[in-house]
Amino acid sequence: MNQSVSRRRFVQGTSSLIAAGAMFSVSRPAAASSGDLRLNMSAGNFGDAIMAAFVRPFEAETGIKVTPIYQDLRAAQVGLMVKNNSVTIDAVLVSQVTGLTLAGGGYLEQVDYSLHNPRELETTEGRCKHPFGFGSYLYSLNMVYNTKKFPAEKPRPTNWAEFWDATKFPGPRSLGNGQGGSPLPGPWEEALLADGVAMDALYPMDIDRVFASLDKIKPHIRKWWTTGAEILQVMRDGVADLVQSVDGRALSLIDNGDPIEINRNQAKLTFDYWIIPKGSPNALNAQKFIAFTGRADRQAAFAQLFAQAPSNQRAYEQIPEKVARKLATYPEYMKTSFLVNGEWYVQTGADGLTNSQRLTQRWNGWIVR
Amino acid sequence: MNELRKIWRVPLGLTIPAFAILLVVFGVPAIQLFLISTNAPSFSITNYHAFFEQPGNILILLQTIKVSVVTTFICLIIGYPTAYLIVNASKTASAALIVLVFIPWLTSGLVRTYAWTVILGDRGLINNVLIGIGIISTPLSLLYNRLAVYIGMVHIVLPIMILPLVSVMYGIDKSLVAAARSMGARPVLAFWRVFFPLSLPAVRSGTLLVFVVCLGFYITPQALGGLSDAMLSNFIAAQLTNSLDFGPIAAEAFILLLIAIIMLSLFGLDLSGTQSQPDSVRKSEYGWASALRTLRRQVGEFVVPLRARRWPKQLYQPVHSGRSWNTLAAIFVILVMMFLLFPGLIVIVMSFSAGAFLEFPPSGFSLKWYRSFFGDSSWTGAFWNSLQIGVMVTVLSTVTGTLAAFGLTRTSSRIRRVLMLIILTPITFPTIVVGVACYLGLVNLGLIGTKIGVVLAHSIGAIAYVVVIVAATLSNFDQRLEQAAKSMRAGPIRTFVRVTLPLIRPGIIGGAVFAFISSFDEVVVTSLVSGFSLRTLPLKMLENMNQQIDPTIAAVGALLVLMPVLWIVALYLTLWRSRRAHEAGLPLAGLADRAEVPSSAAGQRQ
Repeated sequence: MNQSVSRRRFVQGTSSLIAAGAMFSVSRPAAASSGDLRLNMSAGNFGDAIMAAFVRPFEAETGIKVTPIYQDLRAAQVGLMVKNNSVTIDAVLVSQVTGLTLAGGGYLEQVDYSLHNPRELETTEGRCKHPFGFGSYLYSLNMVYNTKKFPAEKPRPTNWAEFWDATKFPGPRSLGNGQGGSPLPGPWEEALLADGVAMDALYPMDIDRVFASLDKIKPHIRKWWTTGAEILQVMRDGVADLVQSVDGRALSLIDNGDPIEINRNQAKLTFDYWIIPKGSPNALNAQKFIAFTGRADRQAAFAQLFAQAPSNQRAYEQIPEKVARKLATYPEYMKTSFLVNGEWYVQTGADGLTNSQRLTQRWNGWIVR
Repeated sequence: MNELRKIWRVPLGLTIPAFAILLVVFGVPAIQLFLISTNAPSFSITNYHAFFEQPGNILILLQTIKVSVVTTFICLIIGYPTAYLIVNASKTASAALIVLVFIPWLTSGLVRTYAWTVILGDRGLINNVLIGIGIISTPLSLLYNRLAVYIGMVHIVLPIMILPLVSVMYGIDKSLVAAARSMGARPVLAFWRVFFPLSLPAVRSGTLLVFVVCLGFYITPQALGGLSDAMLSNFIAAQLTNSLDFGPIAAEAFILLLIAIIMLSLFGLDLSGTQSQPDSVRKSEYGWASALRTLRRQVGEFVVPLRARRWPKQLYQPVHSGRSWNTLAAIFVILVMMFLLFPGLIVIVMSFSAGAFLEFPPSGFSLKWYRSFFGDSSWTGAFWNSLQIGVMVTVLSTVTGTLAAFGLTRTSSRIRRVLMLIILTPITFPTIVVGVACYLGLVNLGLIGTKIGVVLAHSIGAIAYVVVIVAATLSNFDQRLEQAAKSMRAGPIRTFVRVTLPLIRPGIIGGAVFAFISSFDEVVVTSLVSGFSLRTLPLKMLENMNQQIDPTIAAVGALLVLMPVLWIVALYLTLWRSRRAHEAGLPLAGLADRAEVPSSAAGQRQ
């Protein structure tokens, strides 16, 4: 706080220098009226599905006009907007860890759960109901096979320990790049599972053990991917036969007829938060929208348009079995999956670093070794 | 008029517009960032200390420098001869070649990087061809290693090397080379002793630009490189995704800036000093080897009679070795152009794909991705936004940048060094940090999300390009021509318009092209300052790219290739025509006519 005050004073001191700037005093984006909502999300098929399943029905029901803003936001961008009182967006879709980081920094409005239907909340996954963010869908990171190299009838790795075993299952592999220090795409949990840690005993993670395990797989990884587009490329161009992939990416290739199969064992589940930046011009509308995304019928509609799993289990009542089997929270898959503990990533240690920052630091040193 | 004359006399006055923009949009917030990096108001070096405490960081820092140096070196080796051959080609050929050099710059960097993965991949073009011919049986690992990083980076920055070289080489008086030849210098010697020293300012500015741009790279190394091929900017970009702790991030950015400063002072930042201090340049160029040179000169004395006898023979056989040299040069240029254009061709082919993914070879032919571009107002709207912003940036930065370059070449070298460094910061800083700084700057002005805001944010980088390129051109500019004009009672404006401007036009055009392209392709800064209310073409491409690799992006790339071809051709045609008309009425026409002198030196022409 202190810092931001001093920054403002600093700006005032120099403002005479930039008085020239007043010459172009162009109006800011028009202040939104009470019937508006500016909503951030990713573009592409994903954005289209969000629009069709959530936004259009919301507009029809409430009369609130929604402006979609298709862009992937970094934590720093949201932080900058809030810090500088220039919030131009009402609700933002961010990853679990980004959401928790922003929440910890005091950049977010509390989610008003009194607007939510208690019956819907009851059946919603606990971690998705954070005081500062709400998750309306989940997805997973899975081991994915190229079925030409690893057909179902032949032996193939079924868990991360076997994925790590390059003598028994030779072939190029691909894992997520850990430089962001986050669970997506960082392969931290997978490294521990490969080393024999049980799925329910992952957190708090032993970072030394993570990197000792990563040491073993390092020579066998052809590509450490960073973006979803890279996963597609790695799988389509046959860069690797065993790939750690986000389920949605693999499903899009399977639907396209590519020889890809998803292994649901030891799947890493995570989700995105809808958050409201502090100072959002239409915070109430954003609250209403977020409550709307908790509804089972909307989540069911979304899952059928884009294979992301509902956070509200009741949604499965309205999803055909064929589609449901594609989704990460399908009851049968849940038994063999684990949910990322985002809170662990943002926990701050005695040195003032979060676990996420610590992972990044270790990673940066590890890659050049 | 009087005011203007005063400003003209105080050269630093000319730099005011450029520095005003820089200060307001970037300078003030950059200082804010620096304060944050020192944890102001407690002012400690904890963040810097923490950075150097990690051995990995130091290794990555060294690696960043090494990759940048090697890339710059490769660019120089390829770029210098290419520029030389472009300048010495026939007028139409050289205009065409310049356009070809620039075409790759207009295809989005993201798409081009993707094209390289298609070419170099395990099942990529090269491997398929080699396996098909039977040279190899298992695919070569061409992708995800350092080599691929160099290929991708050189591809992106090579035009940045070539452009300053071309614009300076156009200004070199080729009659000087011809004079050297007439006095018996062999082509190589005439080149080495006359042409090369005159082109040195461009070598310096090109090297500098390329190096500085390379320091901030991160998308290409990440996409084409292996795990360990990370650059410092990768770290910075990754941290901004999940962290709100600006202190360490700002510290890393300033460390990168410091590296740039150190490297620049090592390699000589003085981009534009030849005219005012020819001696010092000569000294630095030849001083260390003076003893060797004396020896060589003495040995040379013996050879002189021999050479003198051979000379008349050579004189009457002007194309003695010309043919084989020409063939070699043509092959070289064709290879360079293939390297520059091949990824773009791949993109164009992929744009006609019938499938839902960007793929090569495409699974079928279809125009649906073009329809998806023209049929979607969000694509065409983004295109118009980018075009408008690009034009405004070009005008603003070319005018202010040219003025600044003028002012800088006329100040003392010490001041010039410092000011040049400041003007270069926006392209030295990692783009993402520039974006954060611009964001803070535009918040101060209340311009977030406005077109003017985006124009200002783009202009600071564009001005840097313009200044470097124009300053390089100016360094070969003979100020006595201006004095001569003034002695004949031409006012400063008249002198500028009639004498100076025609002579440095290639540099200004080059700077303008760069300014436009750098704005048209900008995505990182824009994403921060657009305030989510203004969408440019690269932003629109990026948003699609993150979710799915949609061939619409390839279609846009293909369309963008057409646009510059038309634009640059039109520009060159009109400018050349007006230049001719100008020179006819110019008292100093003979001097301004430098580019017209055929180069017999390298035997380029029959």
